[in-house]
Amino acid sequence: MEDYKFLFKVVLVGNAGVGKTCLVRRFTQGLFPPGQGATIGVDFMIKTVEVDNERVKLQIWDTAGQERFRSITQSYYRSAHALILVYDISCQPTFDCLPDWLREIEEYASSKVLRILVGNKIDREDREIPRHVGEDFAQQHNMYFLETSAKEAENVEKLFMQIAQDLMEQARSKDLLRYDSNTTRIEGKTSSISDSNCCSKLA
Amino acid sequence: MDLEVKMKWAQTASPEELQAELEKITKFKDESWVNLNSLSAQKVYVDDKIKGLTKILPTLRMINDEADNLVGTIKNISASSDKISAEIKTLDTARSRIEECQKRVSDLIDLELCAQGVQKAINDEDYETGAGHIHRFLSIDQNLLTKTAADVEKASGIQKAVLTLKDAASQLQAIVQHRFDEAIRNVDLGTIERFFKIFPLLGMHDEGIRCFCQYLSTKIEEAAVKNMSIALNTSISDKRQPVVFADTLTLLFEGLARMIDTHQPLIETYYGPGRLLSAVSILQNECDKQCNRIMLEFNKNRQLNRKISLINEVNTGGSFSKLDRLDPKDLDILIGEMTVMHMRAELYIRYIRRKVTADLEISTNDDDEKRIKLEELEKVIKNSHLTQSKHELLGNYLRLEQYFMEESIGKAVNMDTFDTSSDQQTSSLVDDTFFIIRKCIRRAISTGSLDGCCAIINTGCRVLESDYCAVLKNKLKQGYPSGYLDLTQAYNVLQTSLQQGRLQPSDAEQARTTFLVALNNGDVSTEYVEALCDSVIQEIDQVMPNMKTNDRGKLESCLSGLSSVTTNLKDVIDYGMQQLRSSAVKPRVNPWVDAFLNVNHQFTEDELSAYEAGVPFVQTLMFNLDSLLSTLKAYLTPTNYDTLVGLVTSEITSRLEKVILKTTYNRLGGLILDKEVRMLAGYLTTSTSWSMRDKFARLTQIATILNLEKVSEIADYWGSHEGALTWRLTPSELRTIMGLRMDFKVEDIRRLKL
Repeated sequence: MEDYKFLFKVVLVGNAGVGKTCLVRRFTQGLFPPGQGATIGVDFMIKTVEVDNERVKLQIWDTAGQERFRSITQSYYRSAHALILVYDISCQPTFDCLPDWLREIEEYASSKVLRILVGNKIDREDREIPRHVGEDFAQQHNMYFLETSAKEAENVEKLFMQIAQDLMEQARSKDLLRYDSNTTRIEGKTSSISDSNCCSKLA
Repeated sequence: MDLEVKMKWAQTASPEELQAELEKITKFKDESWVNLNSLSAQKVYVDDKIKGLTKILPTLRMINDEADNLVGTIKNISASSDKISAEIKTLDTARSRIEECQKRVSDLIDLELCAQGVQKAINDEDYETGAGHIHRFLSIDQNLLTKTAADVEKASGIQKAVLTLKDAASQLQAIVQHRFDEAIRNVDLGTIERFFKIFPLLGMHDEGIRCFCQYLSTKIEEAAVKNMSIALNTSISDKRQPVVFADTLTLLFEGLARMIDTHQPLIETYYGPGRLLSAVSILQNECDKQCNRIMLEFNKNRQLNRKISLINEVNTGGSFSKLDRLDPKDLDILIGEMTVMHMRAELYIRYIRRKVTADLEISTNDDDEKRIKLEELEKVIKNSHLTQSKHELLGNYLRLEQYFMEESIGKAVNMDTFDTSSDQQTSSLVDDTFFIIRKCIRRAISTGSLDGCCAIINTGCRVLESDYCAVLKNKLKQGYPSGYLDLTQAYNVLQTSLQQGRLQPSDAEQARTTFLVALNNGDVSTEYVEALCDSVIQEIDQVMPNMKTNDRGKLESCLSGLSSVTTNLKDVIDYGMQQLRSSAVKPRVNPWVDAFLNVNHQFTEDELSAYEAGVPFVQTLMFNLDSLLSTLKAYLTPTNYDTLVGLVTSEITSRLEKVILKTTYNRLGGLILDKEVRMLAGYLTTSTSWSMRDKFARLTQIATILNLEKVSEIADYWGSHEGALTWRLTPSELRTIMGLRMDFKVEDIRRLKL
């Protein structure tokens, strides 16, 4: 049986072609598959990492960016512990859509979800969105911000490890208040996942 | 050790050491003697051996010479066999050259024949023979032919023949193409088949497949147009009308599949295996076209876009009046049709994939080539309009299904009723809700799409976790009726109504029922959630066997989300139980327990026998509890009832502990107390299916202390020896309790070592 102490669901969203799948592949398999086809529906990857000597299992849901899969992908927002909103720094339209994505997140995700804004493809020469513009947007909407390159493996590890770290701290601080009815959310989710014998041992 | 060193050592050594040294030396001497003896004994044997060897020596020399001879002979043989094999090789080459030569000669003869025959065949419109000639010509190695032409004297003749044949080939190709097109225009099936077979003979495989599939496409279109007009003219009252587009789509796919099934053997016979992929890709264009047409008509006729936008309005909290809201019941049939359509598309794609893969399997053994072809197939499938339409269909289906689930459950909440005459402990809400969720998930399974199933499972999970739990919690929030605080009165009302066989719908009573039913609903729902998860995984396994591990992980993750709804339900039940505790249990139980203070626990012998006969305090308490519990028992599920008894027990034990500590005892009083605690613990334990004794641990220990003969007797129970108790009381608590015994001396208690 797999051994881990925490299980978190991370969901990636954003326009088609911004590199969500590549980010996930880079992180989970260390690959950058060129000519990646569009994702169909939702893809699912698992990676167990170690944070502060604890094993943390990240369940990463890579959603299709295309509009026609929206009703599938939206159903995953609610149970997410972290949502990564990705845009392509060399493609203005993907940035312009961010408010729409935020609206979706507001509507479907838990209000306590950890939200991260990611500008991907910084390896590209033809940047259209300056770093500070992304940063400002993230600040305005109370999100973490990071620029990455799945191709050059830049900041990808950092992105996911930071998320794991933050979620773990969150879960621990909530653990202290576990009988507070408002905070049972994450634990309820976590303890129920799969047949692990220890994931509920948040105590 | 050197002798000198030894001597020095001997001078300083003690007699014991010397003695020991002497013994050691003696022992060594003895051993040496034995060794020497055995060596001299072996001498005879060794001498013998040496003698024997000397005798053999000349023989060995002879053998060596003979072996040398043998080596020489073998070398000779090998040399001559090398020579022979070289000659055989030369012969072989010569033979193969002769064969090649013969082939060239026969090629040349054939060439001549073909050149002569082909023109005649063309003129006679005997295209099969003509194509046969061309085929023969094409099978001759063209490079070799030119080389031969250069080698032979009569070169011009050969070149001429080649030219003639090349001309004839292009001529034939043009004719075949032309005639084939003509035959298609005239729908001349015989001619079509005739020329279809000639294409590969002329090396026009791709051409042939393309032309033929284009012809098949026209047939598909014809049928599709006909089917569509039938579909559109189906009368509203027709039984099939609600699924008429699913039927049309099915006909399209069936037609295509039949076409592929009938023509695949033909293609395989005349074109060889491995050609199905190109055929299917061409047919897919027509399939896409027809599919789009059906989807367009479907969307238009079923007013799908209007419905979706209405639903979006509702979801975003638009200002639509109730009248404009879609009734989920009206969507039921449409949703059904969509699942069928999706499943059909899914099945057709699976069929194509299976057929082409099987065809590729037999056509080549080259894994790389196979992989490339399979990737190509996936690309054809992925980029087809059919796949896109399928995704859009699924997306729309999910919108409708999610709306259907939410609205239907909303309805179930509004129509929630509790049938007081039946012996059911839950209201209609539970069965209705789970029926709806199950129905929706089943329908999602029948689309054949795992992503679809997962999305609906997620939706079900959301609805249960937020909406449904909120409904239950709201009912519990209203609390156990305050009028019921006057418990004897409410209890009497209940009793009379029970006796009359019906409940008086007084407000307080209704509220009471609502509360208890909500508790039961919560409990039964936890069971239903688990059963639902089990049945869903079984059903999915049936519809989608051989799931990939990744897909399985996806499904399991979604299902575990669903099963975690039990945590939320348990929170709700917990909340309700706390309500019950503060409004129904505490106010009633406390006065009953407080009656303990009225009993003087310093008994004389006479008082004791009188009291012991009845044990009035506990008897009354048990009687009261019995009436409280037995009335509730009928209205609660077994699990909830057990929880309630647990709750009552905690309340009683903690209260009783308090009043016990407020009383003083003598020896006989302690005896009685011990008896009282035992009786109570026994009674409550028999009231439930789980043991309540654990909750009585502290009380039992308190009673044990107060029931001691004398202070020192505590040593039998305290400590780490066998027979000692695992104490739930601290030493200071123990001293305080002992202090309640009036006959125990304070200094004795203080002296105790704990």
